[in-house]
Amino acid sequence: MNTGPYSEPTVAAFLHEQFLPVRTECFWDNPTEPMRRFDVKWTPTFLIHDPEGKEHHRFVGYVPTDDLLAHLWLGRAKILYDSDRHAEAIPLFETVLSRHPAAGAAPEAAFLRGVAGFKSSHDPKELRRAYDRLVAKYPQSEWARRADPYSAIPL
Amino acid sequence: MSLILWETDFSAALAKAKGSGLPIYQDFWFDG
Repeated sequence: MNTGPYSEPTVAAFLHEQFLPVRTECFWDNPTEPMRRFDVKWTPTFLIHDPEGKEHHRFVGYVPTDDLLAHLWLGRAKILYDSDRHAEAIPLFETVLSRHPAAGAAPEAAFLRGVAGFKSSHDPKELRRAYDRLVAKYPQSEWARRADPYSAIPL
Repeated sequence: MSLILWETDFSAALAKAKGSGLPIYQDFWFDG
């Protein structure tokens, strides 16, 4: 049950310190109530919920340790971001980028870090800086393309 | 190997989450 990334001490410690870890078994011949409730169509599917049970982040398919840790940080950041706690979310987005820069979740973290910066400061340069960061670090990502309109913002 | 103590009942986890303020990480898996 604790194989792959779950066998890593860093992952186990992080899950216990920062989350309540839940495993839900799926049966495709007779989908369970949790599968229907959370609209799970493939495994593995990973969800991050806030303490009230509202979903804030989802990813599907196997992820190695670095990607998993990045998703965990990103999920925590998105709980704060979705609650309009932007100044608190920024350090968590930055943690994704500093500790897991090669992870698949990093470009989304860079984009949302810029939006959170703008929403907390009302300074549009935060969006331009997000664009510059995405073009420099993740030029092939969809998130770089999503940030393209911010290229017109003067620094 | 590190040991993760998984909750398997989402409702029980939710009650613990509300009490502790911790978010929930949920892994839907299939033992194929």
